[in-house]
Amino acid sequence: MEFFERFAVPHPSPMIYASMVAIGLVIIAIIAGLSYFKKWGYLWNEWLTTTDHKRIGIMYIISALLMLFRGGADAVMMRLQTAVPENTFLDAQHYNEVFTTHGVVMIIFMAMAFIIGLMNFVVPLQIGARDVAFPRLNALSFWLYFAGAMLFNISFVIGGSPDAGWTNYYPLASTDFSTSVGVNYYNWALQISGIGTLISGINFIATIMKMRAPGMTLMKMPMFVWSALITNAIIVFAFPVLTIALLMGTFDRQLGTFFFATDNGGMDMMWANLFWIWGHPEVYILILPAFGVYSQIIATFSERNLYGYTSMVASMVVISLLSFLVWVHHFFTMGQDAMTNSIFSITTMAIAVPTGIKIFNWLLTMWKGKIRFTTPMLYSVAFIPLFTIGGVTGVMLAIASADYQYHNTMFLVAHFHNVIIPGVVFAMIAGLIYWWPKMFGFMLNERIGKWAFWFIVVGFCLAFFPMYITGLDGQARRMYTYSEATGFAPLSMLSFIGAALLAVGFAIIVYNIYYSFRNSPRNIGSDPWNARSLEWATHNPVPEYNFAVTPEVVSSEALWDAKKRGHKLFKNKIEKIHMPNNTGWPIIMAGLFFVFGFSFVFFIWSGVIISGLAILGCMAYRSFKQDDGRYIPVEEIKETEDKFGGANE
Amino acid sequence: MRELFPMKQVNGFIFSLLLTVVALSVYFLEMSFQLGMTILIVTAFVQAGVQLIIFMHAGEGEDKNAIYTTLFYGGFLGLVTVLGSLLAMIWGYL
Amino acid sequence: MKIDSTQHLEYSTEQNRINILGFWIFLGAEIMLFATLFTSYFVYEDRIGNGPSGAEIFEITPVLIETILLLTSSFTIGLAIHAMRIQRTKAMLGFFAITLVLGAAFLGVEIYEFIHYYHVGATLQTSAFTGILLTTLGTHGAHVMFGLFWGIFIFIQIKKQGLTPQTANKSFIFSLYWHFLDVMWIFIFSFIYLKGMM
Repeated sequence: MEFFERFAVPHPSPMIYASMVAIGLVIIAIIAGLSYFKKWGYLWNEWLTTTDHKRIGIMYIISALLMLFRGGADAVMMRLQTAVPENTFLDAQHYNEVFTTHGVVMIIFMAMAFIIGLMNFVVPLQIGARDVAFPRLNALSFWLYFAGAMLFNISFVIGGSPDAGWTNYYPLASTDFSTSVGVNYYNWALQISGIGTLISGINFIATIMKMRAPGMTLMKMPMFVWSALITNAIIVFAFPVLTIALLMGTFDRQLGTFFFATDNGGMDMMWANLFWIWGHPEVYILILPAFGVYSQIIATFSERNLYGYTSMVASMVVISLLSFLVWVHHFFTMGQDAMTNSIFSITTMAIAVPTGIKIFNWLLTMWKGKIRFTTPMLYSVAFIPLFTIGGVTGVMLAIASADYQYHNTMFLVAHFHNVIIPGVVFAMIAGLIYWWPKMFGFMLNERIGKWAFWFIVVGFCLAFFPMYITGLDGQARRMYTYSEATGFAPLSMLSFIGAALLAVGFAIIVYNIYYSFRNSPRNIGSDPWNARSLEWATHNPVPEYNFAVTPEVVSSEALWDAKKRGHKLFKNKIEKIHMPNNTGWPIIMAGLFFVFGFSFVFFIWSGVIISGLAILGCMAYRSFKQDDGRYIPVEEIKETEDKFGGANE
Repeated sequence: MRELFPMKQVNGFIFSLLLTVVALSVYFLEMSFQLGMTILIVTAFVQAGVQLIIFMHAGEGEDKNAIYTTLFYGGFLGLVTVLGSLLAMIWGYL
Repeated sequence: MKIDSTQHLEYSTEQNRINILGFWIFLGAEIMLFATLFTSYFVYEDRIGNGPSGAEIFEITPVLIETILLLTSSFTIGLAIHAMRIQRTKAMLGFFAITLVLGAAFLGVEIYEFIHYYHVGATLQTSAFTGILLTTLGTHGAHVMFGLFWGIFIFIQIKKQGLTPQTANKSFIFSLYWHFLDVMWIFIFSFIYLKGMM
């Protein structure tokens, strides 16, 4: 029995026991459902072993939506706890756990998965490719992410949740102050999904550099592809820093080193330093693809070419460089000298320049355009002013001397939610609605979508703008309660109402998916939005080989110019198409990584050694196995194309 | 036998051994810290360049621009990380 | 697979060229990985707590042997790729084998070095300085260890299948990895050992 005691939850509450039961029931229901409907084979052959970038993208997005609801539940719990003073809904420890998991789940497992999912689905289609450069590694990326996400999400029912904040600062995260295995989970979950993300980064750069359609030079790529390229460059150079930082943290907590200790030469703030060397570029990893999505949507629904293409690209390149030069602004108050703070203050403010250029370019794209206020466009239009407010408060925070006042207050919380929600979350919802017909062959209902939009926008403003005020009044972040005398109560209640409206908005989106699945027409053609880039030149939903004939491109608005100026996209005859085979090893290997991480979290060394050797064995097996893929014969392609109503020739 | 040992690579190897000897001088000779560091920085980066260009053929393929961009970007960000951290954690920290 | 016979075997298919570029990008990530280790090393260099300093525990002889072994192995893997390009499979395998033997010898000396550190009381758990020293050296050593197994697998594949576009591609990518480890060792040699002993 002693062996099993380590898995007990250190701070149990009725809610956690209820969650255990719920998780158990859901797992049983899924297994029973799959067995009853005899879907195991379908699931394994069509999804779990797939190397198709479109299906991997969809799996990423489904996982991201699941994580959105996990993180969203955490958020509502926090707002509920602080809605009234001296509330006893959550105790201090539980509140710590909830804000920690909220942050990690939303950033790493929701937002990252959502952008990588959209990139997976869209990038190969926009550049006219059949798949990504390394389809098997792409599947491995997804499954590593998924293994990491699951590892993180079981923490609160097995062994205890991490409780040192998503930034996980030492010495709070050390074994002295965070005694459960929670932070071990944090280290391994992020490590495993981080490896997956790094592999994705390499994969997408190689894809974009080497697999573009004939004629598509770098400066003729759609803006989303540019944003994906630059994002992945940041991923490749930022994630190794996290790998090392997490390794050092693991060593400190599990092997007795002194890196982030306060004695024996250790330096607790070194964790903060390394964390933010990764963490700040991470912010731009999230926002740049969002900028790419907005660029596509705004150009499409203004029916104009994107204004200032070159300056859009240049500003993203500058942002990618600057993103690595600003990290110290996250700990201006550490105690370094004024000179150091001034340097990082200036680099931080400098980022406002390229970002401002992009804002003006979007505005000028809409100027004199024929604007159609579809749901994706509504999100994009709301994004511009809301994101600008978030950006301006960011410049306020960048003033090092003033930051001594704002640091660790709700003002900061308001600021970063103000850039991340209108910036990233709106873009992901807008992108999902925009590319939904490409994924599933029907449109989401516009009327219901607009209801959701208004709930989300109003909910967002109500939830976060009050925090600016309470923050300036001195309300510290991460405090589980406050007294009546502080006067924070009315504004905190307003925040809770906003959070509730946001939750309703997301529920409406889910209802909309259900409603549209039942009721939307399926005969929508290949280009329902009258769009501009290549992904709309193939059928809805996209056949597995993407394009029967590789398109040829002469401008950055390839499809639009094909429609309006009569450029011919498809010039060649149908030939046999080379496709990658399905493969089971990515999911098996990720499963082994899960076992490895889980064993390491609990110091089960036999499990660590066995799964570690098995992972290396998998890699050795892959090294010897030859898999050259398969060809789809011409007849089969013609048959598929006829089913969709004629080949694009 | 001769065609197995191209001059370029043999010279590169001899040159990298020479650079190692020069670097070793900081251990065997008395010199100031500044001079020693200068020698180490120069020899290490020249050595890296020799490896990249002569042995790794970084500049030969159709993707040489992408490869050099990756390397310079990585090298630049690596330096920024080292120097910026030293600034924040040691030089600028009281 | 379209094979372009005007190019070297390792570049002869489109997938091969993509693989090579992909691996270069991976090396870009490796630069940052080691840069982070060096960053941490420099920050912790003088933070020795109750443990020994670098000057007290470094020994020039094993370090010099390791450096020469790795530099030579980098030279021989370069010769192996040259032999591969002029279709001399036997010579290539010979150079490949020498490289792996030199790599194994390097690891042997490094293990000796680690045992030495253990005996003079410099372990992971001694101080922040010894911890980061062993983590940095260990990360490099783990890369060499990984490379040895990888190299052996490729060696077996060339023996079995001869030089094909696939095996040539794998060998070339392996050579990139091996040279890169040499470059990283040069930085460790210069900025950890020599700087520490200066």
